[in-house]
Amino acid sequence: MRIIRKTTSAALQSILRVIPFIFMLTMLILHLILPDKTFSEDEMRYLTQWPAFRVERILDGNYKTKVETYFSDQFPFRIFWVHIKKGCNRSANFA
Amino acid sequence: MLIAASLFFYAWGEPAYVLLMFISIIINYCIGSFLDKDTTGKRRRKLLLAISLVLNLGCLAYYKYFGMLIGTIAAIGGGNLNTAAPALPIGISFYTFQALSYVIDVYRGKIKPQKSLILFALYISMFPQLVAGPIVNYADIESQLAERHTTLRKFSTGLRCFLCGLAKKVLLANNIGPLWSEVKAMPGTEISVLMAWGGIIAFTLQIYFDFSGYSDMAIGLGKMFGFHFKENFKYPYISQSISEFWRRWHISLGTWFKEYVYIPLGGNREGKWKLIRNILIVWLLTGLWHGASWNFVLWGLYFGILIVLERMFLQKRMKRWPKAIRLTYSLLLIVIGWVFFEFSSLTDALSYLGILLGARGNVLIDAQTIAKLEPYTVLYLVCIIAATPWPKKLALSLKRVPCNLYKIAANAYYCALIFFSTAYMVGSTYNPFIYFRF
Repeated sequence: MRIIRKTTSAALQSILRVIPFIFMLTMLILHLILPDKTFSEDEMRYLTQWPAFRVERILDGNYKTKVETYFSDQFPFRIFWVHIKKGCNRSANFA
Repeated sequence: MLIAASLFFYAWGEPAYVLLMFISIIINYCIGSFLDKDTTGKRRRKLLLAISLVLNLGCLAYYKYFGMLIGTIAAIGGGNLNTAAPALPIGISFYTFQALSYVIDVYRGKIKPQKSLILFALYISMFPQLVAGPIVNYADIESQLAERHTTLRKFSTGLRCFLCGLAKKVLLANNIGPLWSEVKAMPGTEISVLMAWGGIIAFTLQIYFDFSGYSDMAIGLGKMFGFHFKENFKYPYISQSISEFWRRWHISLGTWFKEYVYIPLGGNREGKWKLIRNILIVWLLTGLWHGASWNFVLWGLYFGILIVLERMFLQKRMKRWPKAIRLTYSLLLIVIGWVFFEFSSLTDALSYLGILLGARGNVLIDAQTIAKLEPYTVLYLVCIIAATPWPKKLALSLKRVPCNLYKIAANAYYCALIFFSTAYMVGSTYNPFIYFRF
């Protein structure tokens, strides 16, 4: 009985240890599932969409930048994260 | 699998220069194989080593230092040379040094040449440390290239290391950095003495958390894939001397220069003058490695001279100083060093230094200083504490408390790190690493 309890707690601990990784995976999956938004009303601007594939864009690094802004613009619950950041800054009396 | 991911990662960041890395891999692989002690004669091996040195360093020199060279010639000659300097390929300083360490160690017979081209390519292009180090010695990971054991335990330990690095970069470095950019952009007459100190201390903290955060991420990612890389930073800002600082700052680079430059030059075994010469050469190169500009050379020489002074005169006396004095002495000189590191023109660096020392008649403190520095109070404190080993000591003492307190606290801590790092990453625009340019 004691041995079983020990192994379950060890298994639980190893799952707890990888929660941040599971979190990252979940965000990626959510990103793929959730539909892309086109416009952000809070910021009054159009959000970046998945860029069209073109060889010359890849070579000059333009494609890479586009994909990166696409990911940050379309991040799941983006507004929520922005609010968290603002709240943290305020509570630290920062900016 | 890992090699494909690495090449994709590099191609992603630097599509134009993948070919250059391929060529470097193939040339160094071939030279390594020909250098095998059992099959090749002594003279031939020397020749091969020389070819490899010329090619590797030549390539680095062309891409990194060509611009500096033509700039200097133009400045001296007064003319204008219309040659464009080539763009710097990401990570070239790091992978060239890794390739060199491989070739030299094969030449010395310390390691056997790698038979598999794929595994050698993996060593050069390993994506976690490709962009900003640490510089991994071939001998250290020789066996891990072919065979790695990954367990869930190792994976999660690596993950934790990665999260620490990410938080250092995203939460600390990226937030304290803008303060320095603001101070640096201010006209010299408007900066109060306190503001000047606040600014350069912000940079001191930013560069440490940025660079060591990147190293931690690389070490952590490596561990997640089953590699074991050595530590690259060991709390440099608690050093008791400048020599100690360089044993704690960017350790992999220091080790590289010690092994492949300092010791081959004779180290400390050939008398006082040779020792001084060797130290100065190593630190001149260390400075130059950090960037193709004269201010980095000056920065390197500055530390070289300080280390010579310590070894010649100060070492014995410093032992009698109280700990606090030794710490203040080291930190002061390190912070002044960052002034030379940050200003590319000597006049600007000296004038900023003048403000710091109060020699230029700037006011000690004004209303603007308080308004600007005050919001950063909490961040300064967090950064300073995070730069000491205290948090780690606290964690270790929690480990001794019964009833799983440590485990619960650690899990919560790492979940909080990823949560807030995500918020700060998403909340700000994309932010490149400042060590990309080295």
